[in-house]
Amino acid sequence: MGSHRLIRLLSSVLVISLGLTTLVGLSTAEGTPPADFAAFVLSLVMVIAAVAVFVGVINLLAVHLGRVRRAERGWPYSLLAVIVALGVIALRIADRAELWSGDLEGEQLSERAFEAVQVSLESALAGLVLFFLVYAAYRLMRRRVTVWSLVFTGALLLALIGWIPLDGAEVLADARAWFIRVTVGGGARGILIGVGLGTVAAGVRVLTGQDRSIRG
Amino acid sequence: MTPETLDLVAGWVSLVLTLLVFSYLLADNVLYRLAIHVLVGAAAAYALIVATESVIKPWLDETLLVESAGRDEATVMALRAVGPVPFLVGVLLLFKASPRLAGVGNLGLALVIGVGVAVAIAGAVSGTILPLTRETGQAVDDSVVEGLIILVGTISTLIYFQFFAVERRGVVQRPRGLRSLSALGQFFVTATLGALYAGAILTSLAVFSDVVRAQLEFVLNRLGG
Repeated sequence: MGSHRLIRLLSSVLVISLGLTTLVGLSTAEGTPPADFAAFVLSLVMVIAAVAVFVGVINLLAVHLGRVRRAERGWPYSLLAVIVALGVIALRIADRAELWSGDLEGEQLSERAFEAVQVSLESALAGLVLFFLVYAAYRLMRRRVTVWSLVFTGALLLALIGWIPLDGAEVLADARAWFIRVTVGGGARGILIGVGLGTVAAGVRVLTGQDRSIRG
Repeated sequence: MTPETLDLVAGWVSLVLTLLVFSYLLADNVLYRLAIHVLVGAAAAYALIVATESVIKPWLDETLLVESAGRDEATVMALRAVGPVPFLVGVLLLFKASPRLAGVGNLGLALVIGVGVAVAIAGAVSGTILPLTRETGQAVDDSVVEGLIILVGTISTLIYFQFFAVERRGVVQRPRGLRSLSALGQFFVTATLGALYAGAILTSLAVFSDVVRAQLEFVLNRLGG
């Protein structure tokens, strides 16, 4: 048996055996050996994920540094990304080492930087999404009008207009509340249960060895 | 430097970065790209910090660097032996970068996929399918008419999901009896997506107004001394 076939077989055996034992462990009461085993492999996978994040970030910085070294198009942006990343890491190290003195004693500058930089940028980007959502809804009706695009737009308008607290238009708010509770409630449950059933079907295919994409 | 000065600097940095992002409304430009690369650098650094401080360091403290006080020798040995395992699996994952050695990387991936599949199945059954099915039945008890509409919406949506459909010559076909129910399901799915889209618009509107309010407050406070 070639080494490639052996590795493929080992991969399949590992996926199926670990998957089934973890599934049994997750379904049994806490404190039992299968549950303890499941908790152990879950913590193992969590650390593997953290190691993967660590390696991924190092790789990202290496890619940007490579672009700077080769002076590729847009290299100043890469340099900025690397400087900001190293600056944040340096701030965190200084915080942990409690390097700040005087008025700044006990300050966590890395957390302040997080608020000023990361939170500000993410909030601004989330706010920017508003314009794209409205523009995309407008574009939908500019294209071919079908029954389903009319239903979509009708639901969108009802949910939006019913939200506005207009005097004397309580009927709109009531209609919106009923629509969200009943129509959207039914549809959302169907979608979520469908996604759940799809997840279970795909998972069972992997655990029974029918899905062999893991073998490469 | 005092904490008040830091607050002032943080306020200006936040204002400038927000304006850089909003400059995208005019066109894709240098200022926006600067802001995005600042975000990339900061997000990468914070991901690294969280992964190290919240997961990797506690794992090392509890395994490789565990203190033997109050523990028997065998437990300490076992903990120290298991400590390097996730790092070795992490090294295995690096083999995925090489086309020739990708198979070795699959061994590391197999562990993650096996556990991930188990968690996904357990989560889908106990967190989604069972509670939502129970809730749908409960809705009929609470109000017959509304409950029945919800029940029909849920079932027709599931039928629209093509569980009973077969594909013939690129065309999805359902059993004749289920076609009208499937169309009803399409109505429920489309209406739900429309309402969710409205929810996304309202959420981004709330975020946008909050960002504008916070930055305006900062500028007005500075102007007012």
